[in-house]
Order: sequence, then C-alpha cells, then structure tokens
Amino acid sequence: MSYLEYRLQTVPTGLRKVLHLNWPLILLICAIASVGFLMLYSVAGGSLSVWAEPQMKRFAMGMFLLFVVAMVPIWFWRNMSTVGYVLTLLLLVYVEFAGATGMGAQRWIDLGFMRLQPSELMKITMVMFLAAYYDWLPIEKTSRPVWVLVPVILIMLPVLLVLRQPDLGTSILLMAGGGTIMFIAGVHWAYFATVIGTAVAAVVAVFQSRGQDWQLLKDYQYRRIDTFLDPSQDPLGAGYHITQAKIALGSGGWSGRGFMQGTQSRLNFLPEKHTDFIFTTLAEEFGFIGAFSLLILYALVIFFCVVSALSNKDRFASLLTFGIAATFFFFFAVNMAMVMGLAPVVGVPLPLVSYGGSAMLVLLIAFGLVQSAHVHRPRQA
Amino acid sequence: MTRVPLRPLARIIGARAAGENPDLIERENIRQRHEVMRDKARQMAEGRLLVLGALFICGFVLIGARMSLLAVSEPQEPRTIASSTTITAQRADIVDRNGRVLATNFDTHSLYVHPQDLIDREGTAKQLAAIFPDLDEAELLKDFSGKRKFLWIKRRISPEQQQAVHDIGDPGVLFGPREMRLYPNGPLAAHILGGVQFGREDVATAEILGVAGVEKFFDDYLRDPAHGGAPLELSIDLSVQAAVERVLYGGMRLLNAKGAAAVLMDAHTGEVVSLASVPDFDPNNRPRPLTEGDQADSPLFNRAVQGVYELGSAFKIFTVAQGMELGLLNPETPINTSRPLKWGKFEIGEFQNKNYGPTLTASKVIEKSSNVGTARIALDIGIKRQKEFLGALGFLEPTSIEMVEAPTGKPLLPPNWSELSAMTISYGHGISTSPLHLAAGYASLLNGGTRVNPTLLKQKTRIQGERIVRPEVSAAARTMLRKVVTQGTASFGDVQGYAVGGKTGTADKPRPQGGYYKDRTITTFATVFPTHDPKYVLVVTLDEPIETSGTKPRRTAGWTAVPVAAELIQRVAPLLGLRPEVEPGVLESVTLASSN
Repeated sequence: MSYLEYRLQTVPTGLRKVLHLNWPLILLICAIASVGFLMLYSVAGGSLSVWAEPQMKRFAMGMFLLFVVAMVPIWFWRNMSTVGYVLTLLLLVYVEFAGATGMGAQRWIDLGFMRLQPSELMKITMVMFLAAYYDWLPIEKTSRPVWVLVPVILIMLPVLLVLRQPDLGTSILLMAGGGTIMFIAGVHWAYFATVIGTAVAAVVAVFQSRGQDWQLLKDYQYRRIDTFLDPSQDPLGAGYHITQAKIALGSGGWSGRGFMQGTQSRLNFLPEKHTDFIFTTLAEEFGFIGAFSLLILYALVIFFCVVSALSNKDRFASLLTFGIAATFFFFFAVNMAMVMGLAPVVGVPLPLVSYGGSAMLVLLIAFGLVQSAHVHRPRQA
Repeated sequence: MTRVPLRPLARIIGARAAGENPDLIERENIRQRHEVMRDKARQMAEGRLLVLGALFICGFVLIGARMSLLAVSEPQEPRTIASSTTITAQRADIVDRNGRVLATNFDTHSLYVHPQDLIDREGTAKQLAAIFPDLDEAELLKDFSGKRKFLWIKRRISPEQQQAVHDIGDPGVLFGPREMRLYPNGPLAAHILGGVQFGREDVATAEILGVAGVEKFFDDYLRDPAHGGAPLELSIDLSVQAAVERVLYGGMRLLNAKGAAAVLMDAHTGEVVSLASVPDFDPNNRPRPLTEGDQADSPLFNRAVQGVYELGSAFKIFTVAQGMELGLLNPETPINTSRPLKWGKFEIGEFQNKNYGPTLTASKVIEKSSNVGTARIALDIGIKRQKEFLGALGFLEPTSIEMVEAPTGKPLLPPNWSELSAMTISYGHGISTSPLHLAAGYASLLNGGTRVNPTLLKQKTRIQGERIVRPEVSAAARTMLRKVVTQGTASFGDVQGYAVGGKTGTADKPRPQGGYYKDRTITTFATVFPTHDPKYVLVVTLDEPIETSGTKPRRTAGWTAVPVAAELIQRVAPLLGLRPEVEPGVLESVTLASSN
C-alpha cells in the first residue's frame, strides 16, 4: 500500500505535530528514566557525577533525537529501512573484522561523544526492515516458504554475527524481536511450531544422550550447561551474581530498606551493580512496592504502544510499533528474570534504567519511530 | 469467494453511456478489494496479537510472582551445595581423669583474597607481606593480577594478625572462621594425644582430622555430634604426667641416654595414669615425620607403645612365678645354677660372667638375677606351657591400648620357639616387647593374679580379669621383687615408705646387621608399689644410658633405670594419694629379731 493512498490532508504538519505526539508514552519514558537516575545516584553512594549525570546528559540527547525522529514522516523511515539494515549489518561486520585485527575485541565504534555498539542499533534497524518487508510483500505470499526463508536469513545473519562477539543476550533479543514481527505479520503458525518443536527436540536429545553411548556433548560441556541453567550450584563462582541479587531482593522485603540504604549493592557485594544488576538496588531500597511499580511502568509502555499500533491502519507503522514494543518487552523481561534467578545470566541491561549509552540512545530513537508512526497515522477524513 | 470484476461490463458500458471515465470504476473496485484484503490481514493480526498479548501477560505475571516471592523470602547467605556433605567442625574436648583439659578447640580465622575485588593490588600485597614475613610481595602481586578469583593467603591467623590485615581495609581481603585444635599444655602428653590436621576445607569451615594417638583412634567419636560435646575422659592424670615427663627428661639428660619411656599403670584396672616418651614434641605444631633414617629416632616415635625392646632380666619373674604356679618350685627350692649351662653349641652364662655357685634358692635366683637358674626352670616348664603363660599375659599380641600406634608395637618373637628360645626368653632375651606390654604383664601377675588390659580411658567400673596365677603365687612374686630392691640389684630403688619391689633388666642392643653391641644397652626397671598392697606398676626404660660418676662408664639398669624410677616414685606417689607407711613385718626381720 503506497503512502500516496494516505489522506495526507488529515495528517498534522509542522509544529502542530507536537500536539499529536503520544504524550503518555513520553511521560512514561521520562518516569522510567528518572527511576534510573535515582538508582544510579544511590549506587554511586550519593554521587551525581559518577553515573547519574552522564546518564542524564545522554537521556537529554536521546529525547532530542526522539523528537527529531518523531517529526520526520513515517514513510521516510520506511523508505530508509533497507538502507539502515544494510548499513548496520556492514558495521557489525566491520567491528567483527576490526576486533579480530585490532588490540583485543572491539565491539563498538567511537563516535567521539559516545561509543556506538552496532549490535544495539541492529535491534531497531532489523525491526524496521522486517516491518517494511512485510509491508511490501503481498499478503497472500506471506506464508510461502521462499518468502519465509528470506526474513529468516535476514534475522540470522546479524544474530550469528552478534553471537560471535560473543553477546548471547543481544542475539536472543534480536531473534525474539524478529520472530515476533514474523508472527504478527501472519506467517503460518506451522513454521513456528516446527522451529519450536525442533529446538525442544534437540534440547531433549542432548540431555537424553547424557550418560548414554551416543552422548552428544562432552561431560564438561554438560557441567557448564548445568551451572548456566542453575547457577546456585556454584554460589561463589558462576552463581555469585545471582546469589547476591537474590539476597538483595530478599532483604528489600515489601517496602525496602529506604533510599540509599541498600547494603548489598552499596557494599560492593554486587559487580555490574550499575548496569545489568541495577534492578537489585531498586528492589533492595524500595522493596517489592518499588520493583513492582517499575514493572507496571514497563507494562504501561507496552500497553500504550499496542493501543497505538492497533489504531494505526498503516501496516508498516503498525508492525514497527509492535516490533519495538516486543523488543522492549523482551529487554526488561529477560533482565528481570535473569536478576531474579528465573533465567540464566545472559547480559541484558534493564532498558532506560541501566547505565549505558548505546542502549539508551537506541531505545529513545526506537520510541521516536513509534511516535512518528503515531503522529503520521492515516486518519479518517 | 466470488470476486467482483475490476471492470464489470455492465457498469463500464453504463458509465461510457453516461460520459464518465470508466477508469474511475476500476480504481474504485481496486480500492474495495484492497480494503477487503486489509481487513482480513488485520483480523488475523489481531488474533495473533491476542496470543502475543497472552504471552506478555504470562511474562508479567511470572516476573511479578517471582518478585513477591523473593520479597517475602528470608535473605540467605550462600552455602556451598557443591560438596555433598556439610563439614562438621565441632570436635569434642579431651580431658584427663580429673576433668582438666588436654585438648580443646579455639576460634581463629583464615585469610583469603578475591583478587577481582581488590581496590589497591600493589598496596595490599605490600602490606600483607609486611604482616606475614614469610609471604613474598612480588609473588602476591603476581597472584592478585592473575586470572584466579580466589586465593588462600593463610589457613590460620592470630587475632593480632587479623586486626592488622583488617586495618589494610581492602574489600578484596576476606576472613573465614576457622576452628583449630588447641593443646593448652603444650608438649604434655603429646604422644598420647597425637595431633590433628585440616581435612576438607572451604571458606566457612574446615574439617579437623586426628592424625595420631587418641585423636586419631577416637576420631569418629570426637567428631560425632551425637555425644553432645561431652568430653573424652582419659585415664591420664595431668599432674602425674607432668612429673613423670619432667623426671624422665631429666634422667635421660643426666644419663646421656638417647631416649626414655615410662608407663605408670593402675595395677588392678589397667588404667594408664601416665605414659611418657622422650624426646617429645608439641602437638600444637606437630613435626613432620622423618623422611630418612630410623623412624624410631623421630620425636614422634612413642617408645612406650611402639618401641619393642628385649627387656632382659625383668622377664625372669614370669618364669619363676610360672614355676610356682605349676607347683614345680617354691621360693626356697634350690635351683641348680652351676655353670656353664650348655645347650648344643650354645652356652648360657651369667651377666658379666659372675658365678653364683652350684645352687641358689628360687628367691635368690631373682634377687641375684641368675640367667642359668632361670633357664633351668624354663626347661622344666617346657616350651608349650611357657608360650601359653606369656600369651595369657598378653606378650604375644600388640597391646589393645586406644591409640592408633598400638598395632605397630607388635612383639618380636622367635620364628622357631625352640628349647633354646625358651631358655633365653625366660630371662628376657629373644623376645622384644614394648614397655607397655611389660607394665601390663607386671600388673596382671602382681595385682593378685588377674589379667588387666592396658587402657587410656577412665574406667567407671572394675572388671575382674581372667585369673593368671593364684593370689599366693602373686604375693610370693611380690616378696621376691621386694627383696631385689632391699638386697639385690635394685638397691637404689628403695623409696622410703612405699615398699617398692621390682626387677631390673639390662639388654645389649641388637645391631641392625646381626649380633649385639657391646657398649649400647637398653635398661629397664619394672616395679610394683607398695608390695604389700599393690596399687601401681611402673616401668622405666632408658635407651643407651651411660652413668659416668665412677671410674668406668656404667650401663646397667641398677645404675640407670633404677634411680630414675626411684625419683619418679618419690615425686609421683604423693600425687597419686599414696601415703608413706611402715611395711608390715617381713619374715627375715622376724627371724633376725629372734636370732638376736
């Protein structure tokens, strides 16, 4: 469906677009980011300059980018999506190459004011590209094998590149995000059933073979899997983070120890306390109430995205909004599950809260796209 | 599904007739068809979204549930689940017969490092090296900078050292509680207690394992929490043990001996009141076993239990007592002591080639210590009965004392127990036993004639052992031994008021390559006191003593072991609660009075 069919005259123009932004969504994002500032301030032992201030600056820059992206019509982004995907893929290949030749592994490109991780950027460009792909693809062809294979390859390429870095967390997010778009776009459920079925069968086979004649992996590999799946077996080694995080959560109780009163995180028990494991600080200082409130904020973000997507008649805009919402969901769900010992530790930051430039900027740009889709949605005359 | 044609002929014709552009109709129809398709796609997408939404909600619920679960959970410090069994560190105390502590536990700390948590690696390495001079700063720094995430620095540190390390203040330096075994009396009773070492260990605790002596023999008992921390009560008396060790050590030094051992035993119960072997060691800091040379030269070697020696003439009393028990003789029976006693190509002579004349009474055989007389009695007794008798006294098996070392104190017996062996064994040669064996044998023979087993545990009840000899025989043997002290070879052994009776034994030390040394002896004095009411048995053995007060060096028991034993009794008897008393009338003195 071409954008020429949009009834352009009903889409707001100029600065009037600001009035049509999805303001609740922006307020939610600001609220979540503020929680992050508070936590970073607390984790640094009551110091702004260590983590909170750089994070605020980056957030301000990210919000600016969000507005810029939101002002640009969504059809421009659709036309740019292929270019974006290919460029990001090239960047990924480049860091892979540079990392192999340079001093040690380098996973980022220095932009001067920040370090850009192409794998983070890939999280949006892939969603954009897949949304554009299904917008372009005639609906009746959606489930034909060839047309299913193409996006699968386009998802697996960056996933494998990221996995080689190695960054298991990001590859899982990429795969989950891409798979979700394919699912919403209407790829026949039998494909998903086949993939999931095969994966489950493979896992079962690997574990069934343990101790048998036809054992598929070496013993030490099984032991690594064991510790990966259940870190509590090795509380002072691989399970150290998780054990300490659980202690922090447990000692927080219902209402927490109070702001700046957390012991686990502030007494240096927890490495990564300002990045992947910042949630534990929140849980310890504000307890279940604080942690659950953050979860509600995240849920509301998803809710507003889904409402916006449902009310959007444009297929690209709708798929893009869903895709970004899904990626966001996987982001915080994997992080929280990991911190609380529900999932293995794979290294996924808590979105908008954890200290870190790339992830924050990329997420805000993604929400810029959501806003653009929302502002430029086709309206009834 | 019926599709509406894009250009339905009827409408096209109608439109043409009306002068309208027929393309508009086509465009209109294309739009309608698209809208139908779009609606279909949207319906499907909404179904999919429902599924996805359900999954999201599941995710939220799961995370929320986990969150509340963790919020109500008690925070728990991590424990090592990897090691299958938990390490129980609590070890029961060991006390003497009066409840005084011989071994107890003491809380110290171990020191370890998490190098990745260190803030100042160089500074910490430097300060640690300053606190523990045996650590090397460069080595430490290398370990801190390596890949290791965990590093032991010290297994045990003192409170002062802990404070000093604490003052470094680096969060990567950590302490673990560590219980250690403490022997508050130092080397006192070292051989009895043995010692401990650390077994399996982790950061929080370490297993303490007995390695020797009572600690090892009762390892399971001491570690068993079922006893509720009740101490292990030994038969040892700490004061007596201290006196015995002191005197024994002094005697060893004074007589230039290589080593010495003493066993003091309750004659009726077999309770070992004191058991000493010098040189000794401090169980708080157990020395390593010798890597070369004779283990018997190590201070760890327990001469009283592990050392087996030919104890010489001290054995003669068993032969004479058995003769009396069998009715072959009484104390006044004349025994043929004419020399030489030839047996095949062997000849049995007297000590230092003395000549005791053609006959001696049985009592005098003991008093003078005649080898020939004893050997002739042994010939009358015979091999089989001699073997049975020594077996009944426990000389053919290792002692059953509660120490892991006991089985190593296995007596050395002649491979072929011939009549010649019977004769030499009758005066204590050709059989090697530990001083503990001898003490138990003396106790069994002289306490009235019932067998006792040596034990280190305080006995609550008195068990009547198997009868060895008749009480009259036991009493007669005691009288003979008393005479050895009053008139015979052990005159230095007479301690006023304690009616000491005993028998000396001097044996040449065997050469490792066969034969005997001419100038190295093992001297033994085995005593019972008081002889009229036997309460204790004491055996003192000296290894290579030389008494140098005379013109010629003297190496006999009468000059070495006897004075040491006398000094021991003098010191120990009051501690044992014995009061000096006047001996009841002896037969000779009565005779003497009447002849006056």
